[in-house]
Amino acid sequence: MKPGLKHFFDSMGAYFARPGAQSLDALYSEHPGWDAPRGRVSVYGDFVRGHVRGVLEKIFPLVRKVVGAEAWDALVEGYTLTRPARHHELNHLAEGFPAFVADAAPSRGLAAFVPALARFEWTDFAVFASEAPPERVERLTANPTLAVLEHPYRLCAYVRAQGALPEPEAGEELALLWRHPEHLVTYYVEATPPALLVLKMAVEGLAVADVAAATGMPEAELRGAVERFTRDGLVLAPGGSGD
Amino acid sequence: MVATYAQRHGLKPLGAGIGLRRSFYEELPRTERPLDWVEIIPENFLSLGGRPQRTLDACAERWPVLPHGVGLDIGGPDALDGDYVNRLAALVARVDAPFFSDHLCYSRLDGVYLHDLLPLPFTEAAVEHVVPRVREVIARVGRPFLLENPSYYARMPGGTLPEADFLRHVVEEADCGLLLDVNNVYVNALNHGYDARAFVDALPLERVVQVHLAGHTRYPDVIIDTHGDRVCDDVWSLYQYVLERTGPVATLIEWDQDIPSLEAVLDEADVARAALRKVAER
Repeated sequence: MKPGLKHFFDSMGAYFARPGAQSLDALYSEHPGWDAPRGRVSVYGDFVRGHVRGVLEKIFPLVRKVVGAEAWDALVEGYTLTRPARHHELNHLAEGFPAFVADAAPSRGLAAFVPALARFEWTDFAVFASEAPPERVERLTANPTLAVLEHPYRLCAYVRAQGALPEPEAGEELALLWRHPEHLVTYYVEATPPALLVLKMAVEGLAVADVAAATGMPEAELRGAVERFTRDGLVLAPGGSGD
Repeated sequence: MVATYAQRHGLKPLGAGIGLRRSFYEELPRTERPLDWVEIIPENFLSLGGRPQRTLDACAERWPVLPHGVGLDIGGPDALDGDYVNRLAALVARVDAPFFSDHLCYSRLDGVYLHDLLPLPFTEAAVEHVVPRVREVIARVGRPFLLENPSYYARMPGGTLPEADFLRHVVEEADCGLLLDVNNVYVNALNHGYDARAFVDALPLERVVQVHLAGHTRYPDVIIDTHGDRVCDDVWSLYQYVLERTGPVATLIEWDQDIPSLEAVLDEADVARAALRKVAER
């Protein structure tokens, strides 16, 4: 690459790292005689910053609502300065936001559950967009998009209420999130003993009769649980969801 | 008579298409309205599974699918993203696209995706930089490739070439096709004070394989290429001017903001199809 072109990219890179009036001045000082209207050049800085904000506001609506406008703007601003877009797919830039929120929460006085909520919202999206292919299975199989989150809040109920609750109840929760194989949307539930048992059967290839004998559960009840969680897509069965 | 780029690559005019956007995922694969082909933004399908993939498969069963990227970064200083190009090649093969396209711009600096179509300076150095990258992409993907003339709101510093000459040098030296975005020509002409028809006349029109049509948004100091409205009368008129010089070429209605109903976008595609038919009948 010719030095002049490299200089152009270097100067634009410095501007886009922190778009604003000061960096725009610095950009123009690198190119004496450049007569492009400043407002036209700053359009690009606004676009680049706007893409980060747009993705965060799409993926983290509850975090945004909970923390309030001022704290949200500060989080977005701080995160944007980390230059998070390292992947060609736009939404991937949000992947590091939960960790950023976790680091920032104490100093910014955010409610203690906000980092867990951010992780939940990102996982919701990541499960929805998972590259795990739809599978035809030979035997009972755990949904390949399944993600498991553990946190000291009842987040499933809180997220289901879509911000109608002031804050989540305290209490240990193992949340299961997966993409339904037919509806292709994210399902999430607090893990219950029957759900975990059916997942164990799927992962370890256990037969209903053997599990019934080992646990003392009625076989019909166990079959009912398998059918229910198959319909919900938590596990995949050879016959499909039966929808 | 010199063969056009399309003729050299056996590319036939495809008619009028629309973009596969998220709001159409349920409805588009089932539409009974006339539609000749579908354009996709490959970045939405390269690493996202689930609903996008199912919709893409359903569309590919019915229509030709043309990937039109926004993340290739053909003009940027970083090396081409190998993972991206490999995934793009796989996608192009999977939908059996007759050709694929991206923009003559840069979109990544220092490993950071800026997720925008950023203008290059119109210089010989930029031509020299872009041409081998285009050739590399064509070699790695193995299908005909088109570059789109992007909209831009400010001329970048150091420019030495007229915009049309810059485009011509790149596509001719790289031997790729041209995706002529007529709305971009119109927007650029107004924003930079030049004559849109004269600009079209200066382009290597024998390389035009596809046309984009879209709406834009007028602000006091600038017109932004928002893809957020109907195609305006002036752009339809300029499209007609282009078709009279290129003959029928695959034409896309782009609508990416304030996306209306599928029916409204298909109505616009019908208008383009009628224009294509009229030109073909001459």
